[in-house]
Amino acid sequence: MDQSDKDTVVRIDALQKWYGAFHVLKDISLTVPRGARIVICGPSGSGKSSLIRCVNGLEAYQQGTIDLEGVRLGENAAQTTLARRKTGMVFQSFNLFPHLTVLANCTLALRRVSGMARGEADELASQYLEKVRIPEQAHKYPGQLSGGQQQRVAIARALCMNPRLMLFDEPTSALDPEMIKEVLDVITGLAKDGMTMLCVTHEMGFAREVADEVVFMDHGSIVEKAPPDQFFSQPCHPRAREFLNTLLH
Amino acid sequence: MGFDLDFAIATLPLILRALDMTLLVAVTSCIGAAAIGFNLEILRRAGGAFGLVVRFFIDFIRATPILVWLYCLYFILPFYGVRLSALTVGIAGLSLYYSGYLAEVFKAGIDAIPKGQAEAAQALGIGRRDTVIFVIAPQMLRNIAAPMGNYFVSILKATPYLAVLAVPEMLGEAFDIASDTYRYAEPLTVAGITFLALALIISRGVKWLEDRLATSSAR
Repeated sequence: MDQSDKDTVVRIDALQKWYGAFHVLKDISLTVPRGARIVICGPSGSGKSSLIRCVNGLEAYQQGTIDLEGVRLGENAAQTTLARRKTGMVFQSFNLFPHLTVLANCTLALRRVSGMARGEADELASQYLEKVRIPEQAHKYPGQLSGGQQQRVAIARALCMNPRLMLFDEPTSALDPEMIKEVLDVITGLAKDGMTMLCVTHEMGFAREVADEVVFMDHGSIVEKAPPDQFFSQPCHPRAREFLNTLLH
Repeated sequence: MGFDLDFAIATLPLILRALDMTLLVAVTSCIGAAAIGFNLEILRRAGGAFGLVVRFFIDFIRATPILVWLYCLYFILPFYGVRLSALTVGIAGLSLYYSGYLAEVFKAGIDAIPKGQAEAAQALGIGRRDTVIFVIAPQMLRNIAAPMGNYFVSILKATPYLAVLAVPEMLGEAFDIASDTYRYAEPLTVAGITFLALALIISRGVKWLEDRLATSSAR
């Protein structure tokens, strides 16, 4: 492993994915260096969600490779488990466990996967709940929280497993407008702490502020990859320009 | 010959002597049927050729009369060197038979859980087994407490089938009294009322469980 490999969290190479006859990801290559904050945007159906779901093995792919810190995903079950453990995932619909308290949502994996004792797990989870600014909700159930609070719990739950890479799949799309900011603030905070992240989002203000690279996808391909300043002021590709226009209107 | 209330009351303690046998059969069969049924459903969901075999097995169970199961276990297994007591056969028969029905109930309960739940567990690195135990099963139970309770009542009501194996449960005991005294109305009525009382207790218990599961997540 040379120096460049050590500084790479994810290396996606020539990824191809089909849903039956539908070619959903076409020859995707993307390298995510440590500390990078990459925002993926594009029209719906462009393959953004499929791409980040491939990165933690939630979706299978047919060709190409994904390496997480040098561990190849999909090679065998043990490797895949090892690679997946390096990622944390935040879903559009939160997917908190409704039958468990906020605290138990955060500690389930700590206890069952990391084998941590209850007291230790509770303490660690409380630290992360504090980080997402809802320590006082620890003993409530997800159904008693607002959408924004639930999504912040979901972020804390993912952080508990100490991921090297956070994957966000449209984390604010299911939220009421007044709750979007509190979630984006938490994600921005993570970015400032140096967390490596891949974020699918339509929040262009957030992309401009936080991203160091914007990846624009359309019809299963990456059609443009640029720093946010350049992407928003002078996108090269006509479809990227078209997409930005529809967002502005 | 009219209904003699005093005689009916006199039969009560005799019939209740068999209550523990009825309860033993019913409770162990409920646990057995739920355990087998849940595992069948999990195996069926795994898919593949094995899933198809399990699917066929579930349909096969549901399409055959319960007496066929009891007779087969009791009279055919000994030819293959497996000799089980009447009580064991009775419990095994009821458990297997109702496992097919409960597997269907569990299927509906699991189908109603959003797909994102299993995905979230997977994304956290939680293994398949732990996902089933800690994420899927508790949510499934909340979805199916009522229909599962109905089948528990059905299992209780099926315990008299064990009379064909001469297991001394309540209805068999009532029938013995009837045969000895030539009075059928009183012992059979007492047995019937006792079953009714037990069924009501189970329904109340299920209702309590349902309420508890619903408030614990308050969504």
